[in-house]
Amino acid sequence: MRLLLRILRYQLVTSMIVLFLGAGLFYVTVRYLIDREANKELFQSQVKVRWQLRHLDTLPVYILQLGDSLQLQPVPYPGRPFMRETSMLNLAENEYQPYRQLVFYERSLGQWYRITISKMLLQRQRLLETVVMTITFIVALLLISLLLLNSWLSERLWKPFYKTLGKLDHYQIQQHETLVFKKEETLEFDQLNQAVTQLTERIAAAYRNLKEFTENASHEIQTPLAVILSKIEGLFQDETLTESQLVTLSSVSEAANRLGRLNQALLLLTKIENRQFLAGTEPVNLVPIINGKLQDLEDLILKRKINIQTDLEPIGLIIHPALAEILVNNLLTNAIRHNVENGKIIITLRERFFSVKNTGKTLNLNPEQLFERFRKESTLSASLGLGLALVKTICEVNGQNLKYDIDNEWHTLTVSW
Amino acid sequence: MKLLLIEDEKALATSIQNYFQRENFICEWAADYESAIEKINIYKYDCVLVDIMLPDGDGLDAVKELKRKNPETGIIIISAKNSLDDRIEGLNLGSDDYLTKPFHLSELNARVQAVIRRRSFQGNQQIRFGKINIEPQEHFVSVDGQEIILTRKEYDLLIYLIANKNRVLTKESIAEHLWGDDADLMDNFDFIYTHIKNLRKKLMDKGCPDYLRSIYGVGYKFSEQ
Repeated sequence: MRLLLRILRYQLVTSMIVLFLGAGLFYVTVRYLIDREANKELFQSQVKVRWQLRHLDTLPVYILQLGDSLQLQPVPYPGRPFMRETSMLNLAENEYQPYRQLVFYERSLGQWYRITISKMLLQRQRLLETVVMTITFIVALLLISLLLLNSWLSERLWKPFYKTLGKLDHYQIQQHETLVFKKEETLEFDQLNQAVTQLTERIAAAYRNLKEFTENASHEIQTPLAVILSKIEGLFQDETLTESQLVTLSSVSEAANRLGRLNQALLLLTKIENRQFLAGTEPVNLVPIINGKLQDLEDLILKRKINIQTDLEPIGLIIHPALAEILVNNLLTNAIRHNVENGKIIITLRERFFSVKNTGKTLNLNPEQLFERFRKESTLSASLGLGLALVKTICEVNGQNLKYDIDNEWHTLTVSW
Repeated sequence: MKLLLIEDEKALATSIQNYFQRENFICEWAADYESAIEKINIYKYDCVLVDIMLPDGDGLDAVKELKRKNPETGIIIISAKNSLDDRIEGLNLGSDDYLTKPFHLSELNARVQAVIRRRSFQGNQQIRFGKINIEPQEHFVSVDGQEIILTRKEYDLLIYLIANKNRVLTKESIAEHLWGDDADLMDNFDFIYTHIKNLRKKLMDKGCPDYLRSIYGVGYKFSEQ
């Protein structure tokens, strides 16, 4: 949830609570005052009526005409006086309206009367209406002003913050870039921007150092390796060596070869990560690459009796041609390496994706782990375990999507763009 | 045959020199850019091997100089850089081949011989070994005048074996020659054995003596004895 939205939510909840509590308190107070006033009036009327009834003999009769609000009812004996609230039909307006009634008994000319004085409580209802309306109005006003304030705030005051956030969001460490910002008026945002700039500077420097080191180290390793291999090859030509010495030398040679290949692959990986292979603007047609590769791998495919099915449209993706070759090569060799005898490979190339589907053993590991470096099924395998890591890196650098699916014996790797 | 090796790493240079001396090649060595340019200006070579990363200069400049001075010399770039751009630039400048360190000396040898063969096109391009006769341009192989039909891999293998005759060839170097980067796809070397067996059978069927000797634990040797 956005920060401003959260602030707005708290502001709204707090002002609602305050408003409704205030409205309640207001209502209770005013109602109490009005009630007291109404009761006072009732009691005044009572005193008046009593006095009149007591002096009925000396007063003209019409004095008692207080209208609807006074009712006289002769009763055989008196009861306790009480006060009650009731609603009565107001004929003039044809609706029920609240009334407060004071009931008491008085004896006049030897006869007991039950006297009811009614007082309409219309003011109370009016009051309620007014309070509700006022509160609603204030709430609406508050809401509108808060929304306006927030949008203005986010437009103006928080703008630098969102700008910084956006830049950080798109920050890519592989680009070696440093984020630079304009000077901001708000002190906190300016400090934030400075901190971000310094941070990205340090990150870029560290990343560059690491990459340069990796690349240089790999380069420097190549020459001593070349020396080792050439010396071993020279030794092999020595006729005086015994068989066991030759066997030992052969394993040294194998290990040195492997080291060389490993180093090459790591160097390539580093270069791809360093974006030394930039894609052109034209898509690279993958069909000739796929067919050429299948031809290269022909004897391997024949030996393992793998059935290849291709369904290719003559299209491709935008990528550096060298990377396209590595991509195709690694996906195909991966499909062959992890295949079974008499297995199958289905290669599909469509407008938006390239997929290689092969039969193979079921895997127990998490598909994501497949793309990790040096991940392989067994240490005995001659594989370096870098093939899919390379594919993954190529896809990341070029903005393609690499997906691995497993369906029983079928393994599918799909590159989509 | 006369070769010039431009390489700053002494140990590697010595190995390469020794290797080619056994081929009865004269292999001269220049350890830096300056002496390389000096040698290029004085002598004429059949093939020059250039390391493009030299302490005092760019090997690619040496290639340019060489092309200007002596265009018919074969050039092979050897480099620790596998960079595609360098490779393309090197080939554009007129180098014949590009080999990335580390490499097998037998591979280097095969490439040098191929370059020299291609370069000497007025002369005899045929490859002869014992009873085997190969015409590389036509990919034509015959034993005692009888044609032998070989697969692409068998043909490559035969050329490689002949180029490195009388030498012990390791299985890895054969695998790398035939399958390049895919060599690590082979979890064992049975694969080379299959090709060797087929090639040997095809040659011997036409009356060719068995030139191929397997060296236990190491690889193979192709020789007339």
